Amino acid sequence: MDISLAIQLMVQGILLGGIYGLIAVGLSLIFGVMGVINFAHGQMMVLGMYISYWILVLVGLDPYLSLVLVAVVTAMLGYVIQATVVNRILDFPEAMQVVPLVSIGLIIENCILFMWGPDHRSPNTALGLESIHFGDVMIDASRLMAFVLAILITGLIFWFLRNNNIGKSMRAAADNRIGALVVGINVDRINNYAFALGAATTGAAGALLIPLIPVSPHLGHDFTLTAFVVVILGGMGNLVGALVGGLILGVAESMSTLWLPPTLKHVVSFSLLVLIMLFKPKGLFGGK
Amino acid sequence: MSKQKKIRTGKGIHRREFIKNSAIVGTGLMLPFGVPTLLRAAPRKIKIGSIQPVTGPLAVIGQGQRKANIMAAKQINAAGGIKSLGGAHLELLLGDSESKPEVGRQEADRLIKEGAVALQGPFQSGTAMAIATLAEQRQVPFVMDVAALDAITQKGYHYSFRVFITARGLVGGAINFLKQVVDMKGVAPKTAVVTNTADPFGKGMSGGFLKGLEKSGMPIKILERIQYPLGIQDLSGEVAKIKSLKPDLIFPVSRPGDSVILTRELYKQRVPLMGIYCPGSPGWYEPHVVKDLDKLILYVLVNVPWINPLSTVYQHANAAFKKEFNQTLDTNSAYAYTGTLVVADALERAGSVQADDIVAALKQTNFKDHPVLGGPIQFAENGDNKGASTGLLQIQPDPVPEKRVRVVLPKNFAQSQEIVFPWPQLWER
Repeated sequence: MDISLAIQLMVQGILLGGIYGLIAVGLSLIFGVMGVINFAHGQMMVLGMYISYWILVLVGLDPYLSLVLVAVVTAMLGYVIQATVVNRILDFPEAMQVVPLVSIGLIIENCILFMWGPDHRSPNTALGLESIHFGDVMIDASRLMAFVLAILITGLIFWFLRNNNIGKSMRAAADNRIGALVVGINVDRINNYAFALGAATTGAAGALLIPLIPVSPHLGHDFTLTAFVVVILGGMGNLVGALVGGLILGVAESMSTLWLPPTLKHVVSFSLLVLIMLFKPKGLFGGK
Repeated sequence: MSKQKKIRTGKGIHRREFIKNSAIVGTGLMLPFGVPTLLRAAPRKIKIGSIQPVTGPLAVIGQGQRKANIMAAKQINAAGGIKSLGGAHLELLLGDSESKPEVGRQEADRLIKEGAVALQGPFQSGTAMAIATLAEQRQVPFVMDVAALDAITQKGYHYSFRVFITARGLVGGAINFLKQVVDMKGVAPKTAVVTNTADPFGKGMSGGFLKGLEKSGMPIKILERIQYPLGIQDLSGEVAKIKSLKPDLIFPVSRPGDSVILTRELYKQRVPLMGIYCPGSPGWYEPHVVKDLDKLILYVLVNVPWINPLSTVYQHANAAFKKEFNQTLDTNSAYAYTGTLVVADALERAGSVQADDIVAALKQTNFKDHPVLGGPIQFAENGDNKGASTGLLQIQPDPVPEKRVRVVLPKNFAQSQEIVFPWPQLWER
């Protein structure tokens, strides 16, 4: 085995894992608080990518700088979706929750197609082509940035949930909805904030992906699927689990390049998913 | 005052008299002009099914092709329609394959049920294969504007015709041009890696190229063939592998999207190469790709069925396309445009919308005024276009991104006499 190739693949796997974690954090947060799987997750991320792309093209602001603005826009969208749709379906059977959220995803996807057209867009960004070299091993600057920011964003959300009153209310509503209502928490409004926070994270993740992935309107389904695998690996609703799940998936997919053709990448990720579901159905960090 | 006097002086004109007189005068005026107009039949409509990948990973190509189909039909209608059928207008029935063969087949079926007398499309070879089988079952002529897989026309089908070049023809062009470049520049690449999308076109095209290269006797050793799923979002591992293999050349069979990821990754990982030589696939000449990759895409060589930049048909069609859709008529759109013209030409000569008459006319096609490289479009017994050929493009520096894609071979169509090979390394530009 070529050792430098193996080291390179390991480094890339870890960085790719950070990106997978970033893709999954928003989904995990929304599920953790409300128990709803956001099937429009991927499309919201693609929307974040397009808003970031637009800001870059129109104003010249790099995605790392427009990140906050993108998060605010997607947070507002998330708030509206929760207030108008999701709050009304929280008590529905899980199978019935799927349809409205899949529909919202399709609406977002087609609006994107209408507004920006079908082309792949991949503009040059400040760190888009930067890399750091240690001998034969290369570290991609934009992947490293996404990795670091994924950890930072997760840490911030973690802090917010533990130390901020709204965050504490979110945890209370997640633990016991009736109990939260009894102590005077406006659960519907707290849910709106939670979905907005999840959507903001998702939008920010989209902005961070602009230097890495050419954006096109139909990427959303792949993102949702990847996020789903990562969240199940790490444990539904667990933010640290989402990061660790992302790392496991990233390293497994990257290292598989040594032995398997790339066409079998999905075999690796879905085999991991099946194994986890068989032996640890609640995921690595999902408790008992 | 008498009644007539009242009318003459304008006094005492009653409403009923006015209406009665107006009706008499109006009817009199209509007799020579109006009635025949009412009786004249509106031009008949001939329904043509256009199935393109308007959504999904290939949407960028499919939408351009649909627009080209629409523009060609409009132009034919504006020029008087199908004259042998009383000026009948073409009515395009639009289908979207969603970049999936099974959906393409369903859409073709739907359009046939809605009355399409001929089908055209569909860009993807897998979809073309599915529609060709359906066309044979339903006995509806099918003109493939773009689809390259050889096997589509090797099943003895009677109703399928292909305007585009075959994968074998593409491969022939790729090897022929590669030999010319190597001879002209006096450099000999010894090793290469082939990369391709793992869809029917990607596999067929790269497999055919590998066989063709072996047969050609060119001393280029293929170190690895890397296949990846269509729509892949990360090629860092694959490029790390390419770097470890140290090839002189990469032969990619790609799509817009993965071509961008591959090139940027080659830059970031500082993979030294003599160049990228694409044997025939999209991903290297589309305006957005050229603009986004900027300096990184310079000097890539692409063998591709291409527009004929010197033809007046292309120049007029391109001007009209820019005016109507504000975009350039690229090679895929130009082939889609040609496909509609070929169908219209067959209908004109057939003077009928019966499938067998259209097929008989298609077999006799000798269509010269088209906007793409190659000779007159004439269909062989199996439905392939005998006049189809390719050109070799190189992306060369120019302040205007649209002018960077230039034909360099064959010489009689060349827009630039200079070929840069080997290329300056990606990170040295």
